[in-house]
Amino acid sequence: MTAFKDIEERLKEKAKDLLEKGEVECVFAYGRGYDERHPRPYVAKTKEDAENLVFNEYCTFNLARYAVKEPRKKIAVAAKGADSRALVQLIQEGKLKRENLVILGIPAAGMVDAKSGLTLDEKTTGAFANPVVYDVLLGDKLPEAKNSPYEVLGELEGLSGDGRWEFWRKEFARCLRCFACRKACPMCYCDPCFMDQSRPRWADKSPTLDGNTMYHLTRFYHLAGRCVDCGECTRACPVDIPLYLFHKRLAKDCEEMFNQAAGMKLEDKPVLVDFRVEDGDEILL
Amino acid sequence: MLRKIEQGRFGELIEALLARGPLYAPVRDDRGVNFQLIRKASEPTLDFYNTLQSPKLAWFPQSEDLIRYRLAKGETKGEAISGPVAPTVVLGMRPWDVKSLAIMDLLFLGGGKEDPYWLEKRRLTTVIGYGLASEEEPDGADFFRTLNIGAADSDGSDVFLLKKDGDLLLEGITERGKGLLGELTFLKEGTEEDERYLVAAKAGGKDRKTRFFDLDANAAADKLKAVFADNTFWEKEAEGCISCGTCTFVCPTCHCFDIADETLFRDGVRRRFWDACMFTDFTLEASGHNPRPRTFQRLRQKICHKYSFYIEKFGVVSCVGCGRCTRLCPVNIDIFSLVARAVNL
Amino acid sequence: MDFEPKILGIACNWCTYTGADLAGTTRLKYPQNIRVVRVMCSSRINPSFIFRAFQLGADGVLVGGCHPGDCHYGTGNMYARRRLAITKKMLEFAGIEPGRFRVEWISASEGNRFAEVVGEFTGQVKGLGPQTKLKIKTD
Repeated sequence: MTAFKDIEERLKEKAKDLLEKGEVECVFAYGRGYDERHPRPYVAKTKEDAENLVFNEYCTFNLARYAVKEPRKKIAVAAKGADSRALVQLIQEGKLKRENLVILGIPAAGMVDAKSGLTLDEKTTGAFANPVVYDVLLGDKLPEAKNSPYEVLGELEGLSGDGRWEFWRKEFARCLRCFACRKACPMCYCDPCFMDQSRPRWADKSPTLDGNTMYHLTRFYHLAGRCVDCGECTRACPVDIPLYLFHKRLAKDCEEMFNQAAGMKLEDKPVLVDFRVEDGDEILL
Repeated sequence: MLRKIEQGRFGELIEALLARGPLYAPVRDDRGVNFQLIRKASEPTLDFYNTLQSPKLAWFPQSEDLIRYRLAKGETKGEAISGPVAPTVVLGMRPWDVKSLAIMDLLFLGGGKEDPYWLEKRRLTTVIGYGLASEEEPDGADFFRTLNIGAADSDGSDVFLLKKDGDLLLEGITERGKGLLGELTFLKEGTEEDERYLVAAKAGGKDRKTRFFDLDANAAADKLKAVFADNTFWEKEAEGCISCGTCTFVCPTCHCFDIADETLFRDGVRRRFWDACMFTDFTLEASGHNPRPRTFQRLRQKICHKYSFYIEKFGVVSCVGCGRCTRLCPVNIDIFSLVARAVNL
Repeated sequence: MDFEPKILGIACNWCTYTGADLAGTTRLKYPQNIRVVRVMCSSRINPSFIFRAFQLGADGVLVGGCHPGDCHYGTGNMYARRRLAITKKMLEFAGIEPGRFRVEWISASEGNRFAEVVGEFTGQVKGLGPQTKLKIKTD
């Protein structure tokens, strides 16, 4: 596996190159934060800026969410496995144009969430090691995770319906409606979001349990077949609600029912914007 | 007035406090430590650096019901929901979190209008502050020293709690605090040595170093106003910000709230609940116009409010350096260094 | 008193709603628990309607549309099929009893079938009892 330090060097080199030649207006990548364990998203606009880029195991951010903000500019984006899937999904949905992106692919495994100390792998999120689409690969390709990303659902799936209900009820009770999950997700770009609408008013503004349930269930549905398992929603949540579990479950359902995973091929259509005559009525049972 | 109890008998102290009324204290679960309303004496812990969320929820709950009503054809009547506030104890607040209460008082009780909900809870809540022990290091994200708050300050607490060897020292600071300690007759008297320890710890608390940036609050306030219009600076600083509002919700001195009438069919409640200036629709007007549609504008407003406008209005910085905003920010934005950069521009 | 479930029926105008009409004109009896809402096509259905229905007190939700291939608008029900399939999986994963939500393709000439399905579904929901999980609690 290419060492993170080497990836960092190559990232800086490539960014400087692209900016010097004027091939892109800016490079979205990672920069130094207040200490080594806390890098932050960083936009390099000049080759001097590019000197400040870093890459280490704490660079967990999905930069695709920033790419959506500059749809008309030609930009370079550093993308790990799940991040590249997010970019592909956004291209599928027409939010980004492939020609406007220079995707700096970073094969990475062993990323660490500084807050919890957990290593991201198939038991959590973002285990997808290799970028699916890229213009440049900044490291050697890695072997994909051995286990299914859905294995971690075993515990919840083993519970009874009542047991699962209790579980989710308890989790939703802690929700503060800070909407960090919504803001952290690259796919949540709707303006206005259904939660910001008063006609109809899907949920009250205050953090009631019923409102939280409506918000989360609806958001899970809106992300069905679009979630790329980057885990940002769960990492952003200040009260650690394991949102990724529900998103994973729906991703599994989409793969099983429709044979398609989110953000894998540029020419795909998102699962719920498409249909096959062969879908069959069994999926409704 | 100094009392003490062995750390092993902490549960007894909690039992006694529980018998008096509602108690908020730090509780550890698999996510971390947070203030919760205690039900069992085994729940609270003193083994933590600081809680994930701030303790402001004891005085300013995230959701507070104000009026209940039923829509009617003629006149809709509402009745104020004001349960009697029971005398409450909040145990385990760090000195810098205790300071946030005084800062919030200026807003909720100053300006000629008193917020009755805040006032009532302040009147009836006893604060047991918890000083940082000399063996403990401040967290890398904290910066309370540069806001002139000591790691073992007892200002603002009714009772001040400090670990000493195998004991817990409890110092009665205010009349209310002394009264509380007087009721807990099973506590032992503190010795002269304990007294000296306490004095030394408080002095030592002022020698601790947190992240170094000499903030002259007034100078910073003026400088921030001067660079307010420098869009380039603010846009660069707001680059990573996703405008999620987490920093606001975990901050002990952030206090914006929204009030809404939430009706289902005919019955409803008027509630107030936390709002955040970082939210995109915070300034969305009924006309559809939004004066702060862009992230950098909202981030600028937040920084200037806390470090500039608040000083103008109330004479203090609206921040206690607890570091929660930095620790919990999903993209690791370091608000304090942002202020430093603005001042040094 | 015996529990009488509140069932929300969402029927597409061209097939299921007409089928329900047919059941009426041929004087077929079916349980009166169902309240039918007409939509022009099953693809009008936003899964949030279903969550909201449960929140507002529905004990069961029955969705009816044209048979795939027979949609008045060509392909609407094909999209609906995917959406409602996901909704079903969601409710199950969230812990709501699967028997509370059902999707049936009922054509305009299937008045019999409409009455049959409604009878069956009502009985099923009755057996499950009142839906208390998603229902908003009012004091």
